[in-house]
Amino acid sequence: MHPTKLETLGIGKQFANGGTDEVLTVLTDISLRIRPSEFVSIVGASGCGKTTFLRILDGLIPPSSGSVLIDGREVDRPDHKRGFVFQKDSLWPWRTTMGNVMFGLQIQRRPRGEARETARKLIELVGLKGFESHYPHQLSGGMRQRVNLARAIAVNPEVLLMDEPFAALDAQTREVMQLELLRIWGAEKKTVVFVTHQIDEAVFLSDRVIVFAARPGRVKEIVPIDLPRPRPFSIKRTEQFVRHVDRIWGLLEEEVFKSSGVERPVH
Amino acid sequence: MANKAFSLTTQAGASIAPGIELTGAAAKFWRAYRPTIRGTYTFILILVVWEIVGRYVLTSRLMFAPVSAVAEEFVKLWASGGLQQDMLVSFTALFFGFLIAAAVGITMGSFIAVSDAASEHFDPIINALYATPLIALAPILILVFGIGPASKVAIVCLLAVFPILINTKAGIRSADESLIEAARSFGANGFEIFRLVLIPSALPFIVAGFRLGIGKGLIAVFIGELFGAREGLGYLILLSSQSFNIPGMFVGVIILAGTGVLLVALFEFLEKKIAPWRQFELKA
Repeated sequence: MHPTKLETLGIGKQFANGGTDEVLTVLTDISLRIRPSEFVSIVGASGCGKTTFLRILDGLIPPSSGSVLIDGREVDRPDHKRGFVFQKDSLWPWRTTMGNVMFGLQIQRRPRGEARETARKLIELVGLKGFESHYPHQLSGGMRQRVNLARAIAVNPEVLLMDEPFAALDAQTREVMQLELLRIWGAEKKTVVFVTHQIDEAVFLSDRVIVFAARPGRVKEIVPIDLPRPRPFSIKRTEQFVRHVDRIWGLLEEEVFKSSGVERPVH
Repeated sequence: MANKAFSLTTQAGASIAPGIELTGAAAKFWRAYRPTIRGTYTFILILVVWEIVGRYVLTSRLMFAPVSAVAEEFVKLWASGGLQQDMLVSFTALFFGFLIAAAVGITMGSFIAVSDAASEHFDPIINALYATPLIALAPILILVFGIGPASKVAIVCLLAVFPILINTKAGIRSADESLIEAARSFGANGFEIFRLVLIPSALPFIVAGFRLGIGKGLIAVFIGELFGAREGLGYLILLSSQSFNIPGMFVGVIILAGTGVLLVALFEFLEKKIAPWRQFELKA
């Protein structure tokens, strides 16, 4: 049996439906085991609860049922064992690159000099050397997401939770960021849970792709990606890669049509 | 061809008025400082009109005075030392009243912004008081605090506190949820979120509150000195107008107005300086 880094036991989540007695079930019975240093992606139709699930993993919101275990210990609130990379540009605009990356260390009451040194190294790791004293509004979208990543890694989390971090970037920048992420992941050996709606992104990055079904969100299938690493961009044109993408697209297709209310076309 | 020639001159020079063209360094200067230059024009024009009206139209010195007479009176009052004393008295009251208003406004505003219970308790009364012309309470405060500096400080505080309080609350309430959540993901506790996220994101609003509060504070100082005071700029204005010393009245008014303009400009500058990332909505 493989060692387990992150485990979820029957996670379910219900939300009260604004003012009415109706209860909306967003997630139901999600049980997963993720190995140390594994890169796992979650794909699913929009509204399938991927982001909610990730927020539960971080401890930002509690599950309605079930539990999240990291190294066998239950998660009940955010802490430095997990780093969260947000989809939306959530950098503090009044803090410089350095200030943003140092935030988590400041919360941990690390000595200032040490925090500064750690932040400087990480800013270099994400390729932003020379931009330490820039404010977020002076950086491009891609650079801001690099800061976002450096900020999450700064507290040296064992698990990185990434919520569609490249969704807002243009296609070229996104591809560059995917390579960068793999490079950083290779250097830092983090366990990564990566939420995306881009199937090729999920296949390119991951060891396993978890396909979510919608309404309520649940695991539909787990697809192992046996592509060799390191993966160059050219891998995206290999037959193997395309086969994985097609397979996941097939799994998702029903979900997408189901959730958009459109009848599935007959092939 | 004529059109082309025209466009060339507008590129190289600058037309400040029909028929007047600037070139070279003068044109550059004009472009860089155009708003300031135009504003100054108007200001000078007003002074000139004021002088003409004072000398040739409203010639009765019991009603009006030319600007030169006001300047003369200023020099006279300054030389006597009385003007400095009046300014010191008024500005001291403004300073301490505003300081208390800022402390109370930021504290209460923060408290109301983060606590639903506090908000539900205090919102109705705060909205009611903000809409009330509180200056009407000035006579009561003077009865309570006497005719000394304490009553003026109290009136300034009462008038300035609401814009600061309401803006602080609005600023904290409008803090971006994703910025708060990012801090939470690092395990920040409530106080750290308040100090490191809510206050910095509310800061431009708080300074806008100061800007609105300072105007009200100046009105408060003036009103506070109308009742029983024996010194201060408000007293100077009152005394001068009662003794038909029109130039003296204008000296007081102009100093109050100038102070207001300077302080508002200072806070406007600060608003831009501390939040260069956003052109936030001005809350009036």
